Amino acid sequence: MKFLNSKNIQTIVIIVVVGGVLFLALSGYLTPVFNLSLNPLVSFQRWLSVRYLSARDFLTTPGDVVQLREQNAVLESQVTQLQTQLIEMEERLGEAQVCFALLDFGRTNPQYEYIAATVIGREISPFLQYIIIDKGTEDGVRYGMPVVTQQGLVGRVDAVIASASRVKLISDATSVVNIQLQSAEIEAQLQGSLTGDLSLDMIPLDEIIEPGDVVLTSGLGGNYPPNIFVGQVLSTQQRENALFQTASVQPIVNFESINAVLVIDNFESIDISPLIPEP
Amino acid sequence: MISHLVCALSLVVFYSLQTAVFSQATLISGTADVVLLFLAAWSLQEQVKNSWLWTVIAGVLISLASAMPLFAPLIAYIGVVSISKLIQKKVWRSPIIAMFIVTLLGTLIQQGLYILILQISGTDIPLGISLDHVTLPSLLLNLIFALPVYAVVSELVGRIYPLEEET
Repeated sequence: MKFLNSKNIQTIVIIVVVGGVLFLALSGYLTPVFNLSLNPLVSFQRWLSVRYLSARDFLTTPGDVVQLREQNAVLESQVTQLQTQLIEMEERLGEAQVCFALLDFGRTNPQYEYIAATVIGREISPFLQYIIIDKGTEDGVRYGMPVVTQQGLVGRVDAVIASASRVKLISDATSVVNIQLQSAEIEAQLQGSLTGDLSLDMIPLDEIIEPGDVVLTSGLGGNYPPNIFVGQVLSTQQRENALFQTASVQPIVNFESINAVLVIDNFESIDISPLIPEP
Repeated sequence: MISHLVCALSLVVFYSLQTAVFSQATLISGTADVVLLFLAAWSLQEQVKNSWLWTVIAGVLISLASAMPLFAPLIAYIGVVSISKLIQKKVWRSPIIAMFIVTLLGTLIQQGLYILILQISGTDIPLGISLDHVTLPSLLLNLIFALPVYAVVSELVGRIYPLEEET
């Protein structure tokens, strides 16, 4: 009975108690007891942790601010670079869109050969409607060549140097274009003006023209190729005792915002002025 | 020498600005003429002695580039500089007022000359429309830009002429 001494009994009791507690814990009987005892502990731990983190943040913040500022500067420079790239890409996209539009026009009018040019300036005098383009004799541009955009007729080359040309717009006061009205098959003359407005002249009084009628070049006179879109009739005017009626034309091309044009390379204008008898 | 160089470069810059920017920024149908303003401001500076030479050079070059017939820009610029020289002697104490007067008279003379020359060359220019749509808007724009151009030219002359005297 030496085995049942007090020391061994204590050990057995401890093992039984621990085993019992483990059994009760694993079987879930002690959960309320654990909750009751652990909740204050967790709350305290949370409180302590929050205070510790706050204190640590407070003590380590200056270092972080410097780091953050550096990161911010790097990011700002990256943003600036990206914005610059974005602007460049947008500019290229705009140029590409203009080029695609001009290419489309070239594809739809394959009978002509074109020289693409960029508008680099305008006439210095406000009384005249001219543009300056960046292609000249070196690129094959010659005097009198018609100039168009993807939308329609712009004008014709008026003066050329090696690397640039001056184009007289159809809206210039001295410009006259022979046109035909598509719907009525009427031929007339389109004239520019000081203010850049276009008007049709020499339309017989008995002809009926309506707003919206399409105006195309007729090819008469030999200055422009036929059937190039010019614009649409805006309104008509008939004066008493006049021999002809007139009409205002809305040009299809916005002359204020032309950025790029096509010079028709393989159209030779004909100067018929020597054939016109002098008065 | 420096003044010639600066004047030539300034003319190139002002001509480029004129054809690329100011001729496209229209008020009704009128535009500012910054080359005219530059020549007016340049010739109003007391220290400047080469204004006639550069007026003729600028006038010839712009006449060649422009579609205006009969060297109209050259005649107009000579007229502007003549007014400028005349007024410089009369109202030299108030250069800004002189600049405004030269701009006013110079623009009117230039526009009148352009109308006259275009009429002579056979272009139909109705006087009323040209006054309403071109001349008065151009005059307004020129008066607006007169002060900044004068300030820039004064600053330029103020910087280059001490250098010129040193050399």
